[in-house]
Amino acid sequence: MPQVRILAKNFMDMVAALPATKLDKLYENPFICEAVLRSLPPLAKKYALQLLFIDSPISAKTMEGWVLADGISKHRVAIDRLLQLRVFLEEIDRKKESTYKLNPKFQGNIQKYLVYGGSLPRQPMPSNVTVRLPTSVDLETYALEQWEGFLLQLISSSQVEKLTSFSASMMKFFQRGLLSPRENEAPKLTENGFQFLLMDTNAQLWYIIREYISTAEGRGVEQMDLISFLLELSFHTMGEAYNLNTLTDIQRSVIKDLANLGLVKLQQGRKESWFIPTKLATNLSVSLSDSSARKQGFVVVETNFRMYSYSTSKLHCEILRLFSRIEYQLPNLIVGAITKESLYNAFENGITSDQIISFLQENAHPRVAERIPAVPENVTDQIRLWENDRNRVEMALAHVYEDFPSKEVFEATCDFARDMGGLLWEDTDKKRLVIRGEYHQDMKDFLRRQK
Amino acid sequence: MASKLYTDDVSLVVVLLDVNPFFWGGALKKTTTTTTNSPSVLSFSNFLNHVLPFLNSILLLNQLNQVVVIASGANTCGYIYDSSETNTSEAGVGGSGRMPDLCERVLGSLEEFVVNDQRTGWGADPTAANAASGMLSGSLSLALCYIQRVVRGGLLHPQPRILCVQGSPDGPEQYVAVMNSIFSAQRSMVPIDSCVIGVQHSAFLQQASYITGGVYLKPQQLDGLFQYLSMVFATDLHSRNFIQLPKPVGVDFRASCFCHKKTIDMGYVCSVCLSIFCKQHKKCSTCGSEFNHPHLEPISTSEQK
Repeated sequence: MPQVRILAKNFMDMVAALPATKLDKLYENPFICEAVLRSLPPLAKKYALQLLFIDSPISAKTMEGWVLADGISKHRVAIDRLLQLRVFLEEIDRKKESTYKLNPKFQGNIQKYLVYGGSLPRQPMPSNVTVRLPTSVDLETYALEQWEGFLLQLISSSQVEKLTSFSASMMKFFQRGLLSPRENEAPKLTENGFQFLLMDTNAQLWYIIREYISTAEGRGVEQMDLISFLLELSFHTMGEAYNLNTLTDIQRSVIKDLANLGLVKLQQGRKESWFIPTKLATNLSVSLSDSSARKQGFVVVETNFRMYSYSTSKLHCEILRLFSRIEYQLPNLIVGAITKESLYNAFENGITSDQIISFLQENAHPRVAERIPAVPENVTDQIRLWENDRNRVEMALAHVYEDFPSKEVFEATCDFARDMGGLLWEDTDKKRLVIRGEYHQDMKDFLRRQK
Repeated sequence: MASKLYTDDVSLVVVLLDVNPFFWGGALKKTTTTTTNSPSVLSFSNFLNHVLPFLNSILLLNQLNQVVVIASGANTCGYIYDSSETNTSEAGVGGSGRMPDLCERVLGSLEEFVVNDQRTGWGADPTAANAASGMLSGSLSLALCYIQRVVRGGLLHPQPRILCVQGSPDGPEQYVAVMNSIFSAQRSMVPIDSCVIGVQHSAFLQQASYITGGVYLKPQQLDGLFQYLSMVFATDLHSRNFIQLPKPVGVDFRASCFCHKKTIDMGYVCSVCLSIFCKQHKKCSTCGSEFNHPHLEPISTSEQK
């Protein structure tokens, strides 16, 4: 099993791993309270809301009474998460029972939100200063272009047109774990790297952001500041201009990096300069929970294993190349074929058939996405079969036993081995049997007793 | 269908608010006459103080959650607020800055609605019995229409549910319309939750929640309405599988007759179309089939011998 290390949700784990005092300090910012609340599992959100206007601690037993018998595991998960993130504070009362209470800062901020309403992190600039703001379509294409450019550079593709201004050392940090450096040769994508490319944009974004934050201290930026700024950024309104002067020095240096990733667009007016958050930025806190809006797909797979991708993106081409043979590249269309060789290549790189199939399904062209299944069944089956082909032989450590003195002893040994579940093969005529390696000791003891 | 839903708890909540002036006027009278502020009576402004934070809390729980408010007045009903409209217009997707906006918009359109509602009522007889009972059937239909539009529209849609916050008593004359709405909600698998803030239980809503698998609750302490709302009615459909929710104590299944719109315990049912009547008729007024007459009874019994 390949280790699934790359997960978008890990970002909140990172927040949870902060020391208690720092975490409490984070909750002074109402936007972080909001983002944290939204990242919680549904049941945990509900508990937080239920306790919002209750000042006295609630005992753990009372809370267990709220759930049905089937829900007890979900309940535990929810409570654990709430405690990890210090949204709930645990206290032991006089009767030595644990009770839960909302974090007072968190409680205060959310209460304020419900009663008075949230406010914007900062006011957008008046439109008479910022003439000609990009339209939302322009902004989206800009964001995607930036992001794809970054990804292409990340996988060191030869297709890169314009380089982002990330320093080589920063790039190395991002590539760590995704690419394996080789002497005198272009670096090769690792298993994780392939998996990374097949993830959806939000998940990729969080992975990069996580790496970015974890290396922040090396650049003299406090992790906490960065986390709070990123979460705050996601509450800005997409497409509005915000003055750069409202940011602190640290934030201003960070925002340049974020512009490279396509999270914000920087513009300069006559006197002042401003940043415009793109969809990537405003989706940051949405994608923390499981639900993320699906984007429109582009791939059509036919039953004859041909694949048509209506895409102009070079990144898509690179991704498809991971598991298929690209035949033609037209201005808006990539034609490829899924072949045994191309898939074997992918499997060798550590991509699983499920990843390929789910990629094809998630990115199915709207015309075929409505159909069930979106990818023809014979293709998905064949992909799985080809993967199984590689695992036709299973290796197991084993021991052979032979030269049994009598048929009775042989049969008793067979029965014993069968009962343990360690019997792999037997031959009654020649009185031989093969036992799984891990049962060798038990067998020796058994045979000694037989004598 | 399932693939079109978001994976977890994204919900679309259609809230039906009772703004029937006859009910709230009655409630106001009670609060002014009783010296002690009784917990079972709520003034309209207090009621809004509980409901608005509740609407906020739903929007807070998930960025993709959507809230629609429909007011049912004495004569009309109409859409008051739709959170998806703010998203596309001036406030953007950000989600912040929605609250003062929400408050303002709900109150603004409520005022407009009440004025219009009153004006439509002028033509009709103000003492008419149906005015006291509000427009439950109309607002239920509006809610279901809205939900249908959302479900049929985009690729992905949130899980819909309806919450009725009802104070006015049931109007037996709306029986057929309400039951039809309930059954269409059941067909489209939309649960109807009901929170009764009036004095009596509502048989309509008891049946609605029972049939559609929603929650029916009549809060004991109306001054803690927000806590009831957030404890019970803020639960998304996904979490309802794991949470203890109030169970129906007893459901009033009584029907109204089609002829005089009275609530009856026993009656006559047309064997063809299942219409209900309080008296025996010669002919069914709904489908026109003719009934056996009572004088035939002795013959049938003698035949059995």
